[in-house]
Amino acid sequence: MAFEINRRDLIRIGAGAVLTAPAVLAAAETPKFFTPAEFALLDELTEIIIPSDGHSPGSRAAQVSAYIDKSVAEAFEDKERDDWRNGLKLVDELSNKMHGHPFMEASPDERAAVLTRMAKNEMKPKSPEEIFFGELKRATAHAYYTSKIGIHQEIEYKGNVMLQEFVGYEVK
Amino acid sequence: MFLPADKSDEVDLKKTYDAIVVGSGAGGGMAAHVLTSHGMQVLLLEAGKRLNINKELRSMEWPYDHPRRGDMPPDSHGLSGNEYTIRQPPYAQGSSYKHVYSYIEAGSGSDYAKDIVVDEKDHPYTGTQYAWVRARCLGGKTNIWGRLALRLSDYDFKAASRDGYGEDWPISYADISPYYDKVDLYLGISGHKENLPYLPDSLFQRAVRLTPAEVQLRESLKKMDRVLTPYRAGVTTDGLKHNKYRVHCYGRGACDRRPGGCDIHAAFDSPTGLIYPALDTGNLTLRTNATVNEVTVDKNTGKASGVSFIDTGTGKTYTAKGRTVLLAASTLESARLMLLSKSNLYPNGIGNSSGHVGHNFCEHLMGPGVNGLVKDLVGKPRTLDDGRPGSFYLPRFRNLADRSAKFIRGYGFEGDSGTAMFPDNAYSTPGFGSAYKKTVRDYAGAFIGMGGFGEVLARFDNYVELDPEIKDHWGIPVLRFHIKFGDNEKKMAADMADSAREMFEAAGIEVLGVNREILTEGYSIHELGTSRMGTDPKKSVVNQFQQSHDVKNLLVVDGSTHVSASCQNPTWTIMALCWRSCDHLAEELKKGNV
Repeated sequence: MAFEINRRDLIRIGAGAVLTAPAVLAAAETPKFFTPAEFALLDELTEIIIPSDGHSPGSRAAQVSAYIDKSVAEAFEDKERDDWRNGLKLVDELSNKMHGHPFMEASPDERAAVLTRMAKNEMKPKSPEEIFFGELKRATAHAYYTSKIGIHQEIEYKGNVMLQEFVGYEVK
Repeated sequence: MFLPADKSDEVDLKKTYDAIVVGSGAGGGMAAHVLTSHGMQVLLLEAGKRLNINKELRSMEWPYDHPRRGDMPPDSHGLSGNEYTIRQPPYAQGSSYKHVYSYIEAGSGSDYAKDIVVDEKDHPYTGTQYAWVRARCLGGKTNIWGRLALRLSDYDFKAASRDGYGEDWPISYADISPYYDKVDLYLGISGHKENLPYLPDSLFQRAVRLTPAEVQLRESLKKMDRVLTPYRAGVTTDGLKHNKYRVHCYGRGACDRRPGGCDIHAAFDSPTGLIYPALDTGNLTLRTNATVNEVTVDKNTGKASGVSFIDTGTGKTYTAKGRTVLLAASTLESARLMLLSKSNLYPNGIGNSSGHVGHNFCEHLMGPGVNGLVKDLVGKPRTLDDGRPGSFYLPRFRNLADRSAKFIRGYGFEGDSGTAMFPDNAYSTPGFGSAYKKTVRDYAGAFIGMGGFGEVLARFDNYVELDPEIKDHWGIPVLRFHIKFGDNEKKMAADMADSAREMFEAAGIEVLGVNREILTEGYSIHELGTSRMGTDPKKSVVNQFQQSHDVKNLLVVDGSTHVSASCQNPTWTIMALCWRSCDHLAEELKKGNV
């Protein structure tokens, strides 16, 4: 029996160890719910929230937007789909108001400024765009930190492995 | 895994079994184990399915290998903690979701137990707000329990003598201690000896280890004459030579990522720990999908003659015969079954001449606790902190040597620290971009938190009864709750929050948040006391051997018989008591006394 488990385990560890998977652009796939334009905007927003940096790849490489798209597409309540679509519209409206053009036409600094505005009251969001930022960030964090990149490269999670002995300090 | 053939035996309706056991969780599994080991022919009836639990739990599955990262299908809904406080039961009423599950299914990582817990749509209940988690499948809640395995002491059994409230148990620690030993050795338990009179040690296997934050707290607590001890887990960490269905824990740590569940069965569960070995004796007949709706009575002798049960698939009703009947359907379901078993002889329900069945309910209150940060750990290289079946337990310290002026009885804390697979601070860290990402990463391993479990006093006024109108999917009347926390609980909860903060501050842990809110009744999933033990048949339902005062061949061997809740988790005590009662029953049967 122990052998059975060991073997299954090794296969799993092998599968989990392929960490250098190519960062396939999520946008290459056809979105299930969002329009291509909405999807491109969503993908950019998630990458700004959790970007690629010197430590690890970001949301784009982790295909966060594709995961959100799939979740929203199959959501039980229509309201959830409406909220996401409206939320993305709010981002463009805010960008237009602040910079005179939609978000995807804005410069990196202008994009950051839009998100900074949306995140202003993060702990107590009031306006619709502030509330949407909360939803967007929560969904992004959930999808990113449950992805292969999030778990293995970013957090460098050491667990879910077989241990001969527990790790830590033995109580004497 | 060497699973026995996945079939449910046919019940021989003509045969009179030596014992019929109702329910297959900690109590029912233990009854089946002990009685079959005495050579008795036992029929075990379980209302739920026989699941292939290894396929259900999949504890080693990475989130990204699950299509919804562990979440349930979109047509299913897990009740949130908030829903229990703003709505009234039945909680699935009016819901457009196809399935509605209890709170342990809410949030992420919840797809793994949805087939284990009941669908509220089929299993309604009414009355006061109550977060009632039920697991209808072979093994019941032992498939997903939290694994903290603690002993009670005479501080608990004789609590009434100490502070004047309620009733003492009809047993003392000396009576049950040998049976705790038997449970330890047969099932395996992990822990570290502390020699505390109020939390007796078990016969421990290899203990889990502590994180730096936990060592810091343990050292500081010593100065306050308090203890932080490695989690006492009902988990075999060294293996069990006598059990071929279980392996020792190898630290995958999945137990804390999801609502319980160990698919290698290092953590105790009733099927692999008790029922499969009992089946191997050849003395056990197991019938799943069998909802018992009445204990039948022999009109001439007044004794229990067996049970009637409904096949959950076909809806057909059958009657099985037994020389003895043992109820272990869970504290609330066993009470429901006794109240349902009305006859001319027992118009208030079987075993209920006292009128105490369903009453004297008690449990544990949860909610108050503290979260903190150990600054020295911020930005340190990643360590493996969650490869263990539990982190730490901080036993009771109130009302031992001294007496609190504000409340009676005590509470303990369960806690956790260090890096987990998912960094919870990703949700609480403000901002976005590289700075946000780095903060989440640097702080992920530096948090420590703990939450209290406090004794809820047994009160006659806290009770359940049959609802006169509402029925479940099978037409069986449901329970109506009358259960509310009282003044002692509220004062205790305030002290839990204060003391939690004080202990963290004393240990140099930066306090990030203190929770003072009490969670809805039921949240601890430690319901107890609806058929309490006692010496006086007017004030209790069963004797010290869990035998009905009224009906000698009827036993109740689950948490219902606990006289008070103590603040320790009840599973180990349920099994030790059951073992003792079943040994006694076997002796009495041999003597012809039942």
